[in-house]
Amino acid sequence: MRIVCPFCGERELGEFTYLGDAKPKRPAADAGEDAVYDYVYLRDNVAGPMTEHWYHGGGCRAWLKVTRNTLTHEISAVEPAAGAGAAKVGA
Amino acid sequence: MRGDQANRLNNGGLIDRSLPLSFRFDGKTFSGFKGDTLASALVANGVKLVGRSFKYHRPRGILTAGSEEPNALVELRSGARREANTKATTVELYEGLEAASQNRWPSLHFDVMSVNQLFAPIFVAGFYYKTFMWPAKFWEAIYEPAIRRAAGLGRAAQVSDPDHYDKAWAHCDVVIAGSGPAGLAAALAAARCGARVILCEEDFVLGGRLLADGGMIDGLPAAEWVARAVAELTAMPDVRIMTRTTLFGVYDGGTYGAIERVNDHLPVPPEHQVRQRLWRIVAKRCVVAAGAIERPIVFAGNDTPGVMMASAMRSYINRYAATPARRIALFTNNEDGWRTAETAIAAGLQVAAVIDARPDVSAAHRSLASKGGFPVLHGAVAGIDGGKGGVRKISVSLAGGARAEVEANGLAVSGGWNPAVGLTSYHRGRPKWRDDIAAFVPDGAPPGMVAAGAANGAFGLGACLCEGFEAGAAAARDAGRSGNIGSMPVADDEAFSITPLWHVAGKGKAFVDQQHDVTASDVELAQREGFQSVEHLKRYTTLGMATDQGKTSNVAGLAIMAAVSGKSIPETGTTIYRPPYVPVAIGAFAGHHRDENFHAARLTPSHHWAAEQGAVFVDTGLWKRAQWYPRAGEKDWLESVTREVKAVRSGVGFCDVSTLGKIDVHGPDAGAFLDRVYINAFSSLAVGKARYGLMLREDGIVYDDGTTSRLAEDHYFLTTTTAKAGLVMQHLEFCRQVLFPELDVQLTSVSDQWAQFSIAGPKTRDLLKEIVDPVEDLSNEGFPFMGAREVKLRGGLKARLFRISFSGEMAFEISVPARYGEAMARNLMIAGKPFGVTPYGTEALGVMRIEKGHVAGPELNGTTTAGDLGLGKMMSTKKDFIGRVMAGREALVAPNRQVVVGIKPTDKARRLRSGAHIIPKGETPGPDNDQGYVTSVCFSPVLDQWIGLGLVERGRERIGEIVRAHDPLRGEDYDVELCNSVFYDPDGGRQRG
Amino acid sequence: MAEFSWDVRSPLDRALIAGSYGAQGDAGVSLTEIRNFDLVQVMARRGKAGEMAKAAQARVGMAAPETPKAVDTADATLIWSGPEQFLVLSKGGRHSIEALGSVFAGSALLSDQSHARALISISGDKARTMLAKLSSIDLHPDVFGVGAAAATSMDHTSVTLWRGKDLADGQAVFNLLVFATFAESLWHTILDSAAEYGVTVGHSEELA
Repeated sequence: MRIVCPFCGERELGEFTYLGDAKPKRPAADAGEDAVYDYVYLRDNVAGPMTEHWYHGGGCRAWLKVTRNTLTHEISAVEPAAGAGAAKVGA
Repeated sequence: MRGDQANRLNNGGLIDRSLPLSFRFDGKTFSGFKGDTLASALVANGVKLVGRSFKYHRPRGILTAGSEEPNALVELRSGARREANTKATTVELYEGLEAASQNRWPSLHFDVMSVNQLFAPIFVAGFYYKTFMWPAKFWEAIYEPAIRRAAGLGRAAQVSDPDHYDKAWAHCDVVIAGSGPAGLAAALAAARCGARVILCEEDFVLGGRLLADGGMIDGLPAAEWVARAVAELTAMPDVRIMTRTTLFGVYDGGTYGAIERVNDHLPVPPEHQVRQRLWRIVAKRCVVAAGAIERPIVFAGNDTPGVMMASAMRSYINRYAATPARRIALFTNNEDGWRTAETAIAAGLQVAAVIDARPDVSAAHRSLASKGGFPVLHGAVAGIDGGKGGVRKISVSLAGGARAEVEANGLAVSGGWNPAVGLTSYHRGRPKWRDDIAAFVPDGAPPGMVAAGAANGAFGLGACLCEGFEAGAAAARDAGRSGNIGSMPVADDEAFSITPLWHVAGKGKAFVDQQHDVTASDVELAQREGFQSVEHLKRYTTLGMATDQGKTSNVAGLAIMAAVSGKSIPETGTTIYRPPYVPVAIGAFAGHHRDENFHAARLTPSHHWAAEQGAVFVDTGLWKRAQWYPRAGEKDWLESVTREVKAVRSGVGFCDVSTLGKIDVHGPDAGAFLDRVYINAFSSLAVGKARYGLMLREDGIVYDDGTTSRLAEDHYFLTTTTAKAGLVMQHLEFCRQVLFPELDVQLTSVSDQWAQFSIAGPKTRDLLKEIVDPVEDLSNEGFPFMGAREVKLRGGLKARLFRISFSGEMAFEISVPARYGEAMARNLMIAGKPFGVTPYGTEALGVMRIEKGHVAGPELNGTTTAGDLGLGKMMSTKKDFIGRVMAGREALVAPNRQVVVGIKPTDKARRLRSGAHIIPKGETPGPDNDQGYVTSVCFSPVLDQWIGLGLVERGRERIGEIVRAHDPLRGEDYDVELCNSVFYDPDGGRQRG
Repeated sequence: MAEFSWDVRSPLDRALIAGSYGAQGDAGVSLTEIRNFDLVQVMARRGKAGEMAKAAQARVGMAAPETPKAVDTADATLIWSGPEQFLVLSKGGRHSIEALGSVFAGSALLSDQSHARALISISGDKARTMLAKLSSIDLHPDVFGVGAAAATSMDHTSVTLWRGKDLADGQAVFNLLVFATFAESLWHTILDSAAEYGVTVGHSEELA
């Protein structure tokens, strides 16, 4: 598999590390145990396009959001994590 | 020189008669020529019997002339280079080649195990499953070894392969598999467009079937056209022609696997060269021009030596000028097979008869028969009279029901052609059936790939050239290349008509899969027993599961299954195709990564100095770390380690701790960031101070620990454990980029920038005063415990000094830029000489941390909470941090959790072992009474006995209790006392002094 | 008072022995270790990439690369190392971390990497062929031209690779920064990979 890093260009799979589903968002500090439990443990078993976190640790060290079809491995989109590089985020 | 090559034709062939080669097969010396394969040289020498079959030990000859060969498997070379199951049909002949037949004992001509044939009625499909069921204990001791001796292929070398292999990457616009007419035309079109082209050909000569079948292209004889095409391609800078290279697999994203047999055609690779190279080819487009494989017809005795594929016979006669027989019969169900009769006549051989399964033959062939003086028999081969000496007589069942007999010493068979649909089907593609050619053809392909020519079911030469040329041009266009592609090569198309015939019913064994000895009746039996799905058929009979992966047998097998189950062939379907297309040596996948190069090694800055001291090194992850420094006269590691510990506790010692992960955390929000990743607060840490920190995973379990120092308002220096350095960096980047992108903080690994040494023992300050510039105040007031700051060394070099202690002694860690690391080790030895300075390794480090009750890897084992480690109080209640919520779950704060506690045997002479289970006194060992286990042990020089740490249920409430350490693995059971985990200096006075 | 010497030792000090290795004849690969350089990692602060770029321009007279490139200035090379970050490679303290601290104050965060890497310069007829055994990226001259850079991996080890100026005879030069503690291991892998082409090995104090 090859992933087009938005910073480095197309690279082979070996430069990347897979983390998993990018959909769950870390709950706010006061969200309570149930919300955190869902965040930590509950995952959809997607058959089709899925947004995933991948780390370009063998390259530019950017965390990426990769949209990959779990049935075909086709990658339809790759975007950097919100805080990759020095991007200005939030306040 | 002709030697004894009795079956070598006087003229023709692509062999170099000026370069004779001698070789040995089964100990006998033969001769051949440069350009031969082992198979063609054996053919030239009249060798018909080349092996014994897998299960029945039946005599077998050469069936094909390519990588689809099921029978002619040999052990090539000898000694450490012996390679089993090598196809004689793909082995290039070289001077001195040595090969031996397989699976026979004591010899190929007299094989004791051939009595298996007499028991053939019981050796049916599923025989082993049904027979060797009981008694169960007999399987390993008796049945399996006996079966393995009797059935099987060649012998592995059993010793390390002396040759080298490597791996490489290649990139191109268009990769082409196969250099026959379609492949060469594709390469020409793509290359003329300016595309970067890689042309892979598994043979050692380019041309594919043109080498054997000739023909006219663009008005030129095929060989001449090939030479011109190759010359044109070779002249282009971005075309790479790779012979002896098989494209064996396709992977996601346009990555292809190829194996290049760089030096397999030589007895031994030249110095500094590899035997084989594994290529990962990244291509925008791929044209599969891998051709087609002629398929046999299944009939009784079809495995007799001398029965050969019709196209293979043409290869031997035309390409190698070696004839498998002088009097040949042909059995075909299609037009193409007749070319072998034409070839035989042209070569001056006798044609005994053509047996054609079709109701009619063309007028041209009828006149060929009459000119050649041989009969055309409409019918099918019903049996062979022959044995290990080869075909003698062929029994024919004629269309009208009568019988005929043909005397011949070779039988060419053509059952039609199967396009090589492997590559196009490797992403779970299923080929589709085409009635007109009675064959499966690709139905789509992985992204970027297209089949052309015979691989796509186009069997005519003109069609192959046309499809290849158009596919090459389209591939280049798709890759963004354009140019003047010139004119398409043209040739006439031969007619191709076929009447499918898979199996001639009759008496006697008729083989579908010759390599695995699967017969037509095995397929029928599988059907009767309910194994009708092709996937079940494959596994029950082992059809197509041998090293040839059923290249000549799969389609026939499923066609027979279709017939007996009353279904059509497309309804019956094919099994899943999987790479590799040909067997690939494990050595090629490993490449450089074997023995000491199995993985990269990381060396500490003082590595070479430590090696000079005679250090014993231990692999910790990728690192080589000094484990201890033996001295003359010490009888074992324990004596050395004990000496090192005592030296530190009574004087001073040092240890390279550069392997700890080191990360610069900098930016205005660095403190806030650390507050979120550690359970304890770091924003409140004063500049110039260090603090121990603990990280959790989001599920509340401990992830990593280490000390982090604040060097400036916006700059922290974080350390991780050696084991987790890379993972913690990845985790922190995840926190920074994904979880908390609003924080203005950056992370940089400085693990390799700093050489860091721990200096420990009551005389540490004395030693440091020699190294550090006198202006620096190292007193308890000037540099208190947990202080951290930059200092100047004597001579002006700047270093970082941290007053932290893992050993429990008065200690500092000192960091210098890594290129000074070795000098630092040497200077510590010089400066410490008056104080008896002692370098110590990871073992002594471990002893001292256990004596101090510090947790490490065995306790931070992915199951423990901060509370379990006795560090629960560190958890801040004033801030959110990773793992906070989940750490509060009921089960993670339950009072009966297994927690860290000290453990020592009641018998001071007893050795404590890690892994021993803790069982209450008087209880029976078992899961119900298992209260934990010993995690870390050492011999404590201070206590003069073995001590350890363990995870024990309610351990901290049970200090002083005597329990059992039960160690079923080592057969030990002894009493131990649960005690405070801090064995040494529990109030910490020494490290603060 | 004991006498100390603070000798610097490159991470390849022991492994590198100048001379010829591998196949006889004209060496296809030439390996030169560049020793004792200053290397500073410059990473923009949040939202300050523009200011960092201006500061770099003011300091060295060249724009810092915003894409995988390496640019040569009069006395330094700026090598892209990731989004909104680059490395400053120089000699003799001209652009050491001490010298650059004030330049990027407020716009970027600096980390000294001078001792964290070994620098190997690779050239020769077979340099590209040899590198294809180690590098998964496409080094074809049309794709990886002079000044191209990549943060990538070789032999599972993170490296920074860039193409320097061609030699006078037109040969391409590939510069490789590898983490110091991995350097000896990768060096042996490089030597093994190059042996079939013949290798000459040396070291230099000068940046190419």
